[in-house]
Amino acid sequence: MFRELTYSDVSRAKALAGAEVSFVMDEEAFRGFYDRNARGLWAYLSRVTGDRQLADDLLQEAFYRFLRAASNAGGEERFDSDAHRRNSLYRIATNLAVDARRRSFTRPAASITGDDVERVAASGYSGDHGDDAARRADVNRAMAQLRPRDRAMLWMAYAEGASHDEIAGAIGVQPSSMKLLLFRARKKMAKLLGEKGVSQ
Amino acid sequence: MRKIECEFEADVLSAVMQSRWPERVDPELREHAKHCEICLDVAAVAGAIECAREESAEFARVPDALPDSGRVWWKAQMRARREAVQAAGRPITAIQIAAFACAMVLMGACIGATSSWFQSGLTWVRAQIDSGKLIPDAMALIQSHGLLAAAMAAMVLVVPVAVYLAVGRD
Repeated sequence: MFRELTYSDVSRAKALAGAEVSFVMDEEAFRGFYDRNARGLWAYLSRVTGDRQLADDLLQEAFYRFLRAASNAGGEERFDSDAHRRNSLYRIATNLAVDARRRSFTRPAASITGDDVERVAASGYSGDHGDDAARRADVNRAMAQLRPRDRAMLWMAYAEGASHDEIAGAIGVQPSSMKLLLFRARKKMAKLLGEKGVSQ
Repeated sequence: MRKIECEFEADVLSAVMQSRWPERVDPELREHAKHCEICLDVAAVAGAIECAREESAEFARVPDALPDSGRVWWKAQMRARREAVQAAGRPITAIQIAAFACAMVLMGACIGATSSWFQSGLTWVRAQIDSGKLIPDAMALIQSHGLLAAAMAAMVLVVPVAVYLAVGRD
């Protein structure tokens, strides 16, 4: 049953309609920015968190916080390039992913399930899953054994082609320590891949 | 000191990213990589990450895998408006609580000024204070009517919270 509208409901609805919301960019600019970055960011989040469901949630949260944070901190002039906006978005996403992983530490890192493979195959995007499935599974398992921060660094460096400064900004460490951190993460990953017999 | 970078690692990485590694690269680079631990690691890890990236890209390309940009924009607008309204509503709630407290004080003052039993009660309390018997008497009263005293104390605590919740949720 519907309850009766109260004075507060009416005033809240009026306030909602009239509330001033200013974002760092207009809808058209946002849609372009989203279309250019959403897929890459989703891939990054799904790898760092190891959970595609969580990556779906964090993707929207990251874009929302980007819009809000950017508009609160000086607007469009804060960013001098699309790359700058992208770095800011990745920094927000990294923080969200690390926080989410801390909260759900016991969750197993997701790997590809049979349903997922069927979904991709049915979509017509399936490539050479038959030949590569075992290698991909080994890579997924190796990545799942890394810490989220190591995953984030390796993904940004080797999948996104980000510079050391960009990675340092995204994960919140000093740029001067990036070389060593990346070296260690790479060493760990190479060792795990070696244990699984995966080579280039 | 342990070497943590190699001058050729960027070349190796570039070859892996362009799917030229190891067949279609300069033989000298290939020869170097055979004996360079860093370049070997870069080739192995970059190759593996590239494999994972392709896999993720395939999932992200599935129709409806990601929400539409228009939908994300609309939801962001709605959420920002809701948060703006909530933020604007906070001072109103505080003012409502202050007004309620003032009304209670005013009502108490009116009762105090007009009620004869309240005035006689006050006179009795003053006399007790003057004679130094207020605290022992109060302790004795609490001991004999402990349950009632606890209930009144609970009321004093619960009523403001209930009023706050009622006003806040309304």
